[in-house]
Amino acid sequence: MLRFVFGRARNAAVLLVLASMLCFGLVVSAPGNVAVLVAELRTPGATFAQIAVIEEELGLNDPLPIRYANWLSGVTEGDFGISYKTGADVGDAMAGRLSVTATLLAGAAGFAVLLSLGLGFLGALRPYGVVDTLTRAVALVGASTPTFFLGAMLIYGFALSLGWFPTFGFGDGLRSWILPWISLGMLPGCVLSRIVRVGLEEEMTRPFALTARAKGLTRNVILFRDALPNIAPAYLNALGAQATAMTVGSVVIEPLFAWPGVGALFLQGVQFRDFMVVQAGLLIFISFFILLNLAVDIAVMFLDPKLRRQGGH
Amino acid sequence: MRLAHKLRESLAGFPPLALWVLFAFAVVGVLGPYIVPHDPLKQNLLAAGQGFGWDHWLGTDHLGRDTFSRLITSARTSLVGITLVMAIALVIGLGLGTLAGYHRGWVDEVIMRVTDVGLAMPSLIIALAMIGIFGTGYWNMIIALALAWWPAFARVSRAVATTVMNKPHIEALRVMGASPLRIYFGHLLPATTGSVLVYATADAGGLALSIATLSFLGLGVQPPTPEWGQMLVDSLPYLESDPRQVILPGLALTLVVVAFNFLGESLALNRVPRPLPAKLLRLRRDEAAGWSALAKGVKA
Repeated sequence: MLRFVFGRARNAAVLLVLASMLCFGLVVSAPGNVAVLVAELRTPGATFAQIAVIEEELGLNDPLPIRYANWLSGVTEGDFGISYKTGADVGDAMAGRLSVTATLLAGAAGFAVLLSLGLGFLGALRPYGVVDTLTRAVALVGASTPTFFLGAMLIYGFALSLGWFPTFGFGDGLRSWILPWISLGMLPGCVLSRIVRVGLEEEMTRPFALTARAKGLTRNVILFRDALPNIAPAYLNALGAQATAMTVGSVVIEPLFAWPGVGALFLQGVQFRDFMVVQAGLLIFISFFILLNLAVDIAVMFLDPKLRRQGGH
Repeated sequence: MRLAHKLRESLAGFPPLALWVLFAFAVVGVLGPYIVPHDPLKQNLLAAGQGFGWDHWLGTDHLGRDTFSRLITSARTSLVGITLVMAIALVIGLGLGTLAGYHRGWVDEVIMRVTDVGLAMPSLIIALAMIGIFGTGYWNMIIALALAWWPAFARVSRAVATTVMNKPHIEALRVMGASPLRIYFGHLLPATTGSVLVYATADAGGLALSIATLSFLGLGVQPPTPEWGQMLVDSLPYLESDPRQVILPGLALTLVVVAFNFLGESLALNRVPRPLPAKLLRLRRDEAAGWSALAKGVKA
């Protein structure tokens, strides 16, 4: 079992190194001279001599491997460099925003899980019935609605017309969190509900379900007691993939609701071609994806007795 | 001709409603500029913010541009965007995928590892990062999306290509002494392309969403070119006074994506063998119910 965990951790470490190389490579391959940008930032109308000094100062004349090593050692200490547009420290700006994005992702993931289990079970209780068809239609439409459109509609319906929630902002506590959570969690929730519904039906056709019926258990009891734990590994895997998608969705939802999160900063970086912000944001996102996958892999191993036994040997 | 036949054959059995919506999308997209009642770019501030009416069927936006015409033109923008991205991504994906499927061995290993890394990352984040480095613009968006999308096609192409390579007629060709080029271009590539095209069609919903999302964020299609996501963000400041202009482009986009996804879902259902057909399931259920009734009877 430990060997399994170590193996996965080693793979994740390799992927992290590859991801850092990718982030570094993207910025290095960017067109234009970074030293010119920095020189303009410090003294408008900088001379070639000043630019040369800055090139030396930033280490742009060093060989690539040395630049990569310097950059990586800075990153591990939370030093992502300074923005070439505003001169602000990128690492500080990102750190202050992590909690906002974490709030968004946690809430949206919670909503997605509740929605998917609710829709999935509603359908599985009476397969091929009216309710099942309805939940399937809801899931299809929900999985196809663009996040930003849903967000705009929720703002119009519940904030502007009914006035139940504020139209934007992060500071008002739970009241201002609900709409962004729903907007971001709807699409993953609908996708996951299909996983629940199809998985449950598959489990119910297996011989053990028939045996349980023969022994006198009702269908609903089998559904909750036996089928639900069986779909947990597949569900967790899908949840991991959807959490990745939700992280990307934060780039859309945070600006829409004016949340000061990592996604919003990343989008600003992309819009204004602020390389250091893009680089830092990309590295944070990809590292999160890799660690998330690792966590899912390990959790699935604990949940799946078959894998657990294999890992033990 | 054979390709068209194959495509039609594989489309049989899909939900007709979704196919009709997509057909309408394609027709509107192709004929767009010839059937619009008004110039989609012409501003007329005197007619701004109109509701539904005879002259402007779906009203006008805050600059007085005809919404119906803009929606139609957006379909064209979206269709052209999807087609371009698909074309580039398919060329890369099909090329690498069939190469991996044909050669196997270390070529396969290398290509598939690269593909795996590409698949592990959400395509939108790759596209965003590339746009952030190389700048915003229509072509940058197209290329960024294509580079983010090809791994999925490479994976499918490889899967199809390996099954084709395992078929007996390929072995017969080898025995006959057919050259690798003949096997590749004459048999492997045509056989793979059809199936991958169908897969790509079903995957186009996500692409339509991505193009609209990037345009919504101001990173894709630039104003004044009409595009659903861009129309939506354009009228977002007037959400309270004129919600129609936000709802209509959103609905159009959602409709197209629903159709694509409906198609994709039935595709997945057709390809992956279902555990048991509904009829058989019901039969089993009845049987089980009968047994439990019997058990109750015995007890009583």
